[in-house]
Amino acid sequence: MIRNGKRRAAVTAIAGASVLALGLTACSGGGAEEGDGDGAASSLRVWAGSQTPITANFNPFAPTVLHGALGPILEPLFFFNKLADEPADGMIGESYEFNEDGTVITVKIKPDLTWSDGEPLTAEDVAFTFSYEGNNPEGQGLVSAEATDDTTVVLTYGSPQFTTEWQRMGGTWILPAHVWSEVDDFANFTNEEPVGSGAYVVDSVTSESYTLVANENFRDAADLGVKTVQYIAIDANQSAQDLLAAGELDWAGMFIPNPDSVTANGQVDWVNTPQDPTVLYTCSNAELGCTGEQTDVAVRQALNLAIDRETIKEKAFVGLTGDISPTYALLPRDEKWVADSANEVSPQTADAAAAGAILEAAGYTKDADGFYGKDGAPIELDLTSVDGWTDYNDAAKLIAEQAAAAGIKINASTVQWQEFSDSRQTGQYELIMGGMIGTTVADPFQIYRDWVGGTATQSTNPVGEEVPAGRWNFSRYDNPTVDAAIAAAEATDDEAAKMAAYTTIQTEIVRDLPYIPLVINATQTFYNTKDFTGWPTEEDLYAFPPSWGSVASGYILQQLKPVG
Amino acid sequence: MKFYARRIGFYIITLWTTISLNFLLPRLMPGDPADIMIAKLQRNGGEISETTIRNIKLLLGSDESSMWEQYLGYWGRMLQGDLGISVTKYPTPVSELIGQALPWTIILVGVATVISFILGIALGAWAGWKRGTWVDHLIPATTILQSIPYFWLALVLVAVFAVGLGAFPIIGGYSVFDFPRGPEWTWAFFTDAVAHAFLPALTIVLSSVGGWLFGMRNMMVSTMAEDYVTTAEAKGLRPRRILTMYAARNAAIPSIAGFAITLGFVVAGSIVMEQVFTYPGIGKLMFQAVQNSDYALMQGVFLVITITVLAANFVMDLVYGYIDPRARHNV
Repeated sequence: MIRNGKRRAAVTAIAGASVLALGLTACSGGGAEEGDGDGAASSLRVWAGSQTPITANFNPFAPTVLHGALGPILEPLFFFNKLADEPADGMIGESYEFNEDGTVITVKIKPDLTWSDGEPLTAEDVAFTFSYEGNNPEGQGLVSAEATDDTTVVLTYGSPQFTTEWQRMGGTWILPAHVWSEVDDFANFTNEEPVGSGAYVVDSVTSESYTLVANENFRDAADLGVKTVQYIAIDANQSAQDLLAAGELDWAGMFIPNPDSVTANGQVDWVNTPQDPTVLYTCSNAELGCTGEQTDVAVRQALNLAIDRETIKEKAFVGLTGDISPTYALLPRDEKWVADSANEVSPQTADAAAAGAILEAAGYTKDADGFYGKDGAPIELDLTSVDGWTDYNDAAKLIAEQAAAAGIKINASTVQWQEFSDSRQTGQYELIMGGMIGTTVADPFQIYRDWVGGTATQSTNPVGEEVPAGRWNFSRYDNPTVDAAIAAAEATDDEAAKMAAYTTIQTEIVRDLPYIPLVINATQTFYNTKDFTGWPTEEDLYAFPPSWGSVASGYILQQLKPVG
Repeated sequence: MKFYARRIGFYIITLWTTISLNFLLPRLMPGDPADIMIAKLQRNGGEISETTIRNIKLLLGSDESSMWEQYLGYWGRMLQGDLGISVTKYPTPVSELIGQALPWTIILVGVATVISFILGIALGAWAGWKRGTWVDHLIPATTILQSIPYFWLALVLVAVFAVGLGAFPIIGGYSVFDFPRGPEWTWAFFTDAVAHAFLPALTIVLSSVGGWLFGMRNMMVSTMAEDYVTTAEAKGLRPRRILTMYAARNAAIPSIAGFAITLGFVVAGSIVMEQVFTYPGIGKLMFQAVQNSDYALMQGVFLVITITVLAANFVMDLVYGYIDPRARHNV
């Protein structure tokens, strides 16, 4: 009897499993068909880089804030196009002006604005925002923020704000005072039902996606073409690429080495807007504790000439990067700030002979193996890149080969991200393949202050100490002439005076090469031009195009129109 | 009774050790969540102002209390069911993240594992029974499938069936476009979810069936040489009855033990599969937690996995004593 009982149980189990298996196959056909043929949907589908699971967080002060909050829902006063040298376009703001010495900004905002919950948006909200704890008013040197009437705000600072124009006018999210004045802990507030001034409000949030719908109280609500925007979470780049190719995704900013594979469907188009420089960090300053031959400026100059940038661009970056200027300015955008036109582009091909001449003039001699050295010790430099950043790994290998051809020995190796981070923070390295953060306005000032400013500018620290928070001078470059010029540029809004300061800085850094320029990183954006028009294109780059761009993405959404 | 008491005592000690290790291991890893988050924002091309950096440090600043205090606090909170708050998905409680991911993982990976096991055992028994015939070709065929790198198999399936033929969806546990408001209790949603589960399940089955088949087939061959099988044949029993009731039943015993452990690991999800298909599951949570030094999430996920694996082992210990009496009596 026992035997029979068991047998029956086993049979049932197997039968159950096969029914389940049948069910799986039978249902799959129907389900897949339903999903297809949905190309011309009215809602715009975006991938801005979110991964599953999505957590509702529309607090602009939170590091995990969702992309949809920054631009589509919340807005700054003005929109700055980081791709062109042009005046800011008003979002909430109408106009602004500095006083003579740059310490007072008077902002006029547009009249009769309302928040998405129907409450009026006045100058009081703007004044509240600038003095709000989350915006770190003391740290920014804010003295007072006052609303003098319903549409005028006067911001007074302790120091000139010419160089922080973007941070104040284009990077500060204006908050509704009636909501945020009741928030105790701004860092932990999730703002799940955000009240904003932008074109969209939150409709729903799930672990896999969130949907924004048109804000009825938006100032240009009548002109808004795209009424629904769905942001989805995707874990792997390959999946996003597949969805683009299948026409199921309308907007994504991501790296695809062979863009033809997604544009082949005739629906997707793409644009490339190189932004951020890729350089070789060199620990350049022996006085602050750097060790290695790269502390000798002659070695850095020789290396700069030994690098074949054209080959690196083609082989490591599939030809998508832009050409870099040794002034680190982004060309052609910052053209007017490059003092010497000879410094517009770094040499694109290698010149081993010139590199050798520099080293010989500095007292180096070639040994039997063909490598330069001094006092019998050949130059030997370690170049690291983060394991898995394959474009950087390939570039590092190419650089090692090219340097060897010019008689400089470089050992390229890969490290874990943590090691990379620690070594650049504390200055314990010789050469690192790394990135710089491009500036958001048509002015290289921020790179000069944050990346080459020395101890006097508080942008770097001796080897062994981390660089100050928010500053990035990993090279330990510390040049009093540059520091003085940075201070001069910071205090003026006069173009000629600023230009004079930049001329000094550029002369110094082009000679000293604290970061050896390589290329400008590609930034690819893919969008659906069949169902939507109004995208930024090569001819009309009115905004930074990627879907993850803050402010710009909200600005672009307002310009889009569905086709048909 | 002594047998069970000893087993239970053993499991309690194991549980304590693993939970303590679970506390310790993430803290031995290098990396500070705040630095990682800042670097990630920078790498993504986001504008990072000094204010943002200050806010991140404020939020994710390191815990200053001593290791021992942290350890005691960890136990205290855990006994109350509080697994802490995830920093990567701030400020969602870890228990909620796991709660959302667990059903997807258990259903998909669980069903796929069961299918793979049943298929492997059935085919293995058959292959063992028909040894020396063409059926033997099954073995190299399935072993090749198993040795193909798992992620590659998944990518090929997506490229062919989802992108190329358009027969299956490319990503997700369900269509986020058709159901923007999330899962719902409707027939349409159910069929959609099943369609989404097909390819991920297929990768799991294809890549794991070979192991079961191979083990079962070999056990089957050796069982067939046993005296009781010869006796059964001599008695003139129908071959089908000998196959199922005599040979296969005995040959399956070692596989069942392995199956229990595999079932325990089901909750760990399948990192690669979940990544390739953007499937909402536990494996991905673990991956993200490790990437971002999210200690609370890491601990939570490891805890769930540890407990399930131990529980599966425990149940197996008990069941094994029942299906194989030799394990109970010390013979």
